[in-house]
Amino acid sequence: MARPLRGPGLDSAAGQPTQLLRRMMVIRAFEAALAARPDHGFQLFSAGQEAVAVGLCAALETGDQLLTSGRSIAPALARGLDPGRVMAEILGRVAGPARGKGGRGHLAWPSEGFFGAHAVVGGNLSIAAGVALAFQIEGRRDVVACLFGDGACGAGALHETLNIAALWKLPLVLVCDNNQLSVSTPRSQALAPARLSDLAAPFGIPGATVDGMDVAAVRDAAARFVARARVGDGPALLECVSERFSSHSTATRETRPKDQMAAILARCPIARLAGELQRAGELGSADIAALEGDVAREVALAVAFANASPLPDPAEALTDVG
Amino acid sequence: MIYALTVPGPIEDVQEVRVLEWHGVAGQVFAVGELVVELETDKALVEVRAGQPGVLRSVLCGEGDWQALGRPLAILSDTAEEPLPTDTGDLALMAVEFEVS
Amino acid sequence: MSAEPVAGTMKLFFREAIARALREEMQADARVILLGQDVGAFGGSYKEFARLQAQFGPARVRDTPVAEAAMVGLGVGAAAAGLRPLVSITYMDFLMLGLDPLVNYAAKARFKTGGQITVPLVVKTTAGARGQGVAHSQCLEAWMMGVPGLAVVAPSTPADAYGLLKAALRHDGPVLYVDHKRLFPTAGEVPLAETVLPLGRAATRRQGRDVTVVSHSFMTRVALEAAERLATEAISCEVIDLRSLAPLDLDTVASSAARTGALLTLEEGQLTCGIGAEIAFQVREQAGPIRTARVGAAPAPVSSNPVLEHAALPDAERVAAAVRRLLDAPPAERP
Repeated sequence: MARPLRGPGLDSAAGQPTQLLRRMMVIRAFEAALAARPDHGFQLFSAGQEAVAVGLCAALETGDQLLTSGRSIAPALARGLDPGRVMAEILGRVAGPARGKGGRGHLAWPSEGFFGAHAVVGGNLSIAAGVALAFQIEGRRDVVACLFGDGACGAGALHETLNIAALWKLPLVLVCDNNQLSVSTPRSQALAPARLSDLAAPFGIPGATVDGMDVAAVRDAAARFVARARVGDGPALLECVSERFSSHSTATRETRPKDQMAAILARCPIARLAGELQRAGELGSADIAALEGDVAREVALAVAFANASPLPDPAEALTDVG
Repeated sequence: MIYALTVPGPIEDVQEVRVLEWHGVAGQVFAVGELVVELETDKALVEVRAGQPGVLRSVLCGEGDWQALGRPLAILSDTAEEPLPTDTGDLALMAVEFEVS
Repeated sequence: MSAEPVAGTMKLFFREAIARALREEMQADARVILLGQDVGAFGGSYKEFARLQAQFGPARVRDTPVAEAAMVGLGVGAAAAGLRPLVSITYMDFLMLGLDPLVNYAAKARFKTGGQITVPLVVKTTAGARGQGVAHSQCLEAWMMGVPGLAVVAPSTPADAYGLLKAALRHDGPVLYVDHKRLFPTAGEVPLAETVLPLGRAATRRQGRDVTVVSHSFMTRVALEAAERLATEAISCEVIDLRSLAPLDLDTVASSAARTGALLTLEEGQLTCGIGAEIAFQVREQAGPIRTARVGAAPAPVSSNPVLEHAALPDAERVAAAVRRLLDAPPAERP
């Protein structure tokens, strides 16, 4: 059944399909521009997983906070962070929000609702619960979302966090971007449960599994859970099943055979939404071309901005230590 | 006979006690088993009950005061009229029962 | 409120000094919260949190399940989001379970976010051997004092438990506060006036001429006991209580050692990569070669067996013997 393109109860323009498409296209183009550079560094890319980040962020409001794993570029851009500042941070330039000291693995801009990435697998989960605890104690209506991969589901951190979040009814939405691989290990060889949202059940909190290649499905499921958390009904676990189009990182080789890759790449969330919008008459091919041009210009500006920013003085190795 | 009320040592890891509350004033008669004073150690509340009948004559450590184990907290006697010695060192020890909570 | 204790003190049990510090800070600042196992109605394993939940309510004083990684992570996240939590880890042996959020996030947050996020978190834990066996006896401060971005403090008296805990709760970064099982039975004078001690400042507990004995936590009491014995042998010990392991007050230690010409370090933890090894090297860098010795635990787990526990740990007599050997040895050669 075709999912309605327009989500319920989301008034902001950011939640509308054309904007969702554009966001995903920016992420794809940004990562491609980064990958093309000889100085790209150690990167984890989100190609194929853009719908998870974009759909989730479409469900968040300004005062909410998002925490992520080391696969941070898509969520950061989806959250609305300035692409030039993000590129600068990734490339270690001082114009980055952390002056280039965190890089992609620890990308953070809390004043923009991106509490930050943490490069330790599962390492941000209890942190996110702590942020949610602070919101609860302060009586805020803001929600914390924490994005993590299937790779984090085997360690104790997730289970400890689910337990305490459930016990204390924390305003926390845990979102598992299940790209079905932990580096080279398929989910079935790493995790006993086939359906990762089942991990919520023992703790008595809601869990749901959606198609992570369908941005509207992600948005709508996330919106339900965020709304619930916002009114004090507690945490939830959302699993978005996605596909990773590249290898785990720029330092990891691809282990999947070419014919499997061909089938995976055919599930592109960007092509899917663009196709849906075209079939629904919302966008014509000229509109798509205009979007592509617009996105290319935005990414080019971001690259130029980052290129123009210097690397830090070596003395900054000793600043902000604490 | 005149007695000194003390908390005899050694008790593992307890060096000092602090008086929490006296359950009588000078002149008060205590029967066996009656609560005389509550003391605090670092870990617990100690209820000190009379192990023999006696009359409380003089409180040496008031509420909130500290005292080392084995040192006198109060003077008691078999009868109310016995004259108190000027030197309270070397008195017989009053029999007491402890309850630690 | 003053930085140095003023005239007028009251005698408190060690646990009461802790409760007082927390009560004052929780009254003054609504952001201070307490998380830990059995800290609520139970009031803490040593009653060091007695009556805090009754006074400040269950939102600010929360019992957690046994999950040290999550407990520390919760504290880290809450601090990063603007609260000032204290997380109580009952046994230092189990701090290890919480080292990922403490070391990989809390100690790195300010740096990795370029100053956007700070983590004003206090992790309070109790170290030391007291008959509870190999996994409930360890002193692991040496592991923690070399983590950039993490402060480490260790009181040896109720007054310092009070003053250092207040300081820790006011510090704008993560602090590991380590007390000791065998300090809880002790009582001591605590200033009546509200007092915050500075981090990074050692205290000279006893002045002396012949040797500098440096220690912290419960071993400071052992050092003082040894100093009393040695005084009857006409050996005059200067005893320095570090109070703060990171930042370390090297100046106080180095200037004392330069004056006495002999340095003995004393810790209950392991000597390999221990606090003494670090201090000895830093003193040498600052003050030149000085004859030095170190005393610590035997290189073995510490059994609950009273004979074996006693055999494994420093006591006053062993410290005194080490001082005698140190002073009998020839002075260090100057280059």
